[in-house]
Amino acid sequence: MSNCAATELTGDTYTRRFEQGPNQDTLIVNMGPQHPSTHGVLRVIVELDGEYILRAEPVLGYVHRMHEKMGEVKSFTQYLPNMGRVDYLHAMAWNWAYVGAVEKLGGVEVPERAEYLRVIATELNRISSHLVWWGAYLLDLGAFTPIMYAFDDREIILDLLQIVTGSRLTYCYFRFGGVTADVTPAFVSGLKEFLQRFKSRLPMYKDLVTDNIILRKRCEEIGVIDVDMARRYGATGPVLRGSGVAYDTRRAEPYGVYDRFDYQIPTFTEGDAMARYLVRIREMEESVKIIEQALEQLPEGEHLNAKAPKPAWKPGVGEAYFAVEGARGKIGVYVVCDGTKNPYRVKLRSPSYCNLSLFAELAQGVILADAVSIMGSLDLVIPEIDR
Amino acid sequence: MSAIFDDFPVTGRQVPGDFAKTGQTLSIFLEAKDIVAAAGYLKDKEYFIEDVTGLDLAEGFAVLYHFAHFDKPGRVTLRVLASRENPSVPSISGVYQGAQWHERETRDFYGIAFPGNPNDGPLLLAEEDMAPPLLKDDAKRAVLQKVWPYAAMGVNPVPAAKPAPAAKPATPASPAPEVTK
Amino acid sequence: MPDFNVLLAGIPAELTRLVLALIGLMAFIGLNGLALVWVERKVAGHVQRRPGPFEVGPFGLIQPIVDAVKLVGKQLATPAGADKFLFWLAPLLAFLPIFLLFIPIPFSENLVGLNTNLGLLLILAFAGLNVLALCLAGWGQNNKWGLLGAGRAVAQSVAYEIPLLLAVLAVSFQTGSLDLAAITAKQGPWPWQWNILVQPLAFFLYFICAVAETNRAPFDLPEAESELTAGFHTEYSGMGFGLFFLAEYANMIVVCSVATVLFLGGWQGPIEPGWWWFLIKMYALLLVIIWFRWTYPRVRFDQLLNLNWKWLLPLSMVNLLATAFVVKLFA
Repeated sequence: MSNCAATELTGDTYTRRFEQGPNQDTLIVNMGPQHPSTHGVLRVIVELDGEYILRAEPVLGYVHRMHEKMGEVKSFTQYLPNMGRVDYLHAMAWNWAYVGAVEKLGGVEVPERAEYLRVIATELNRISSHLVWWGAYLLDLGAFTPIMYAFDDREIILDLLQIVTGSRLTYCYFRFGGVTADVTPAFVSGLKEFLQRFKSRLPMYKDLVTDNIILRKRCEEIGVIDVDMARRYGATGPVLRGSGVAYDTRRAEPYGVYDRFDYQIPTFTEGDAMARYLVRIREMEESVKIIEQALEQLPEGEHLNAKAPKPAWKPGVGEAYFAVEGARGKIGVYVVCDGTKNPYRVKLRSPSYCNLSLFAELAQGVILADAVSIMGSLDLVIPEIDR
Repeated sequence: MSAIFDDFPVTGRQVPGDFAKTGQTLSIFLEAKDIVAAAGYLKDKEYFIEDVTGLDLAEGFAVLYHFAHFDKPGRVTLRVLASRENPSVPSISGVYQGAQWHERETRDFYGIAFPGNPNDGPLLLAEEDMAPPLLKDDAKRAVLQKVWPYAAMGVNPVPAAKPAPAAKPATPASPAPEVTK
Repeated sequence: MPDFNVLLAGIPAELTRLVLALIGLMAFIGLNGLALVWVERKVAGHVQRRPGPFEVGPFGLIQPIVDAVKLVGKQLATPAGADKFLFWLAPLLAFLPIFLLFIPIPFSENLVGLNTNLGLLLILAFAGLNVLALCLAGWGQNNKWGLLGAGRAVAQSVAYEIPLLLAVLAVSFQTGSLDLAAITAKQGPWPWQWNILVQPLAFFLYFICAVAETNRAPFDLPEAESELTAGFHTEYSGMGFGLFFLAEYANMIVVCSVATVLFLGGWQGPIEPGWWWFLIKMYALLLVIIWFRWTYPRVRFDQLLNLNWKWLLPLSMVNLLATAFVVKLFA
């Protein structure tokens, strides 16, 4: 299994480009694209010295569907379903980012009730996204049971959102000027029940999982990201808040009616995988608080602006950049419009893409098992990275 | 954040924007050769990189760099215009390592070269040679001033390759464009 | 009980007894393997709030048989570039020595494959062959992930054998013999007469090392699915994998049987001693091992080795020295 000869004859351009280091005893392995813990179709070429990673390089593009080109050939309304497919775990946030950008461009008003509905849907989606992350992360670390409990809770959320949106996962709930459908009384009562149940489950997760010594040993002091690294790579979301920076797009670039709610931005300073883990657990609790307040304050009104644009709408000329806080970080959509019926340019700024880009630098000198833990703690969704 | 940077190290037009309408607080029009210094300045000011993207306009390729700050509100956009025949913008991945992937993606989609980027492989597209997918047909390209409505503000962005009729007569070969203060 | 001390048609009695024991053990291990697969999946299911297998047969009882048929029916594919001989030797080497391990274990007073006064030595010696099998598997399959898994497996097995040995030695020191029948006989029928009360630390150490030796979670790094895509048995499918799978369960049974004999009084029990007590205690320990797997995350590799070299080894040495001291003082 001589490496230098093998990579000349076998492997693809990425393996050949990833040259063997000076030490001939190292092993060059591909983690992925089919791998149980790279969370999707991600490939990481890794040079191993025993169990230690000397160099790691993610190879992207296995789920690349060229959403940005689709943005240019579809009309504004036709592009709405695409947003659910970019990050299927927090589809509501991507919906909001795109809809918000176009609404800015076209100057569309959103009724107050619709704003509250948007908040409820997005925060509920955030909880379900974090539950998937939690279960999958523990699965990577070898605990096979928490994912079952997480999916048990998530199933209720999916049922609730199905009542309102008709979809279980890739939502297309937002329209320019509001949302597609109003909530039903069944939804509201189901949601209240779910929140009660969820609040009683979180202590169990803490006792059995978060406080488990084996988990703590796998997460503490692993993959420490300092603020300068986050700045250089543009890391946002729980990755950034785990490193001590209380930056949340909901507070930094306020949108919707988030300023009417009383919630905290959980921040931990250690910068390790455990800090990011705790940030997300606390974020779930904060989302519960936001939903409760939103339900209380939910005003009467329409769910969609009566003067909402028709499907064949041209927002006008100009550009707009709109950012929202997704479960993974700061989602940005940049739309350029030249007066035709299709967008001129749609740029999707995905948080996992920037979060993953720091992996190559972070993984140097790390044990392979820790690399798995780090990747899990970054909370990656590959379709969002590849778009 | 103050509207513009008083001690910006290189010459470039700084145009404040309306955050509520466009999501950008400040746009800085630069020449390609100045981008690394500008990025270094923003790094010292503790801005973080959001993304690097391209835009195919009638005047050439525009490369946009979006930066934001953890503590200060607003967004700073650096705008560079590259020629169509040989588009090349120096890479800022020495300053902001995260830009490496964004630049590779822009190279995949538009064919713009970023000399200085440590990795010359494709990022998202397949290895085979294919025409950059986001190029526009000649007829469909927008004019710069149309999509960036700065003409109404009486300020022209970095001079276009073909001067538009109503614009001030500035060409790319002219020395440093005037700096707005 | 027929008298096996009589020559049977010219064949030495011992040989007949051994052959019968082996046949019986094959049936025992085979049936237990199937049963354990079912138990594991059911326990996993119920721990995870789902039913486990329930379609095939009543309560899914026929599931393991169906799985076995599937495994047997699969094509035996050898990966390109693999060392054919080593590749196929490895599962055999993993599985066949198990029978040897069972022979000295006394299921009841007379139900023993081989009455030997070196039973413990036999078991400990042949348990080490498992490491060789893992090594050959990892190397022979021409897969880098398999190699990594095999490397981990070897390091782990070699490391955890030592505290295991020392813990077991403490018990045999105390009993004064390596004979499993003698160790069982020295304990009494009631729980307070079992060795676990005299040697709780040894039991604790033995159990942890046993879980590590059988590559069970939380020490299942060699086959860490989520890191190494199945580790040392990545390239095995069909019966090759089936043999590793069975060998793992059989190893678990061995380890629990030895624990029962050494610490829990073996076949002795209140009211009516016999092989049923042995089986009850053995299955109780097996259930605990299965329970561990579905509860804990995986320990990282260097933490695993640290645990062994920094904690288990010193503790087991202290235990052994203390036992020796007490035995010499009060013997």
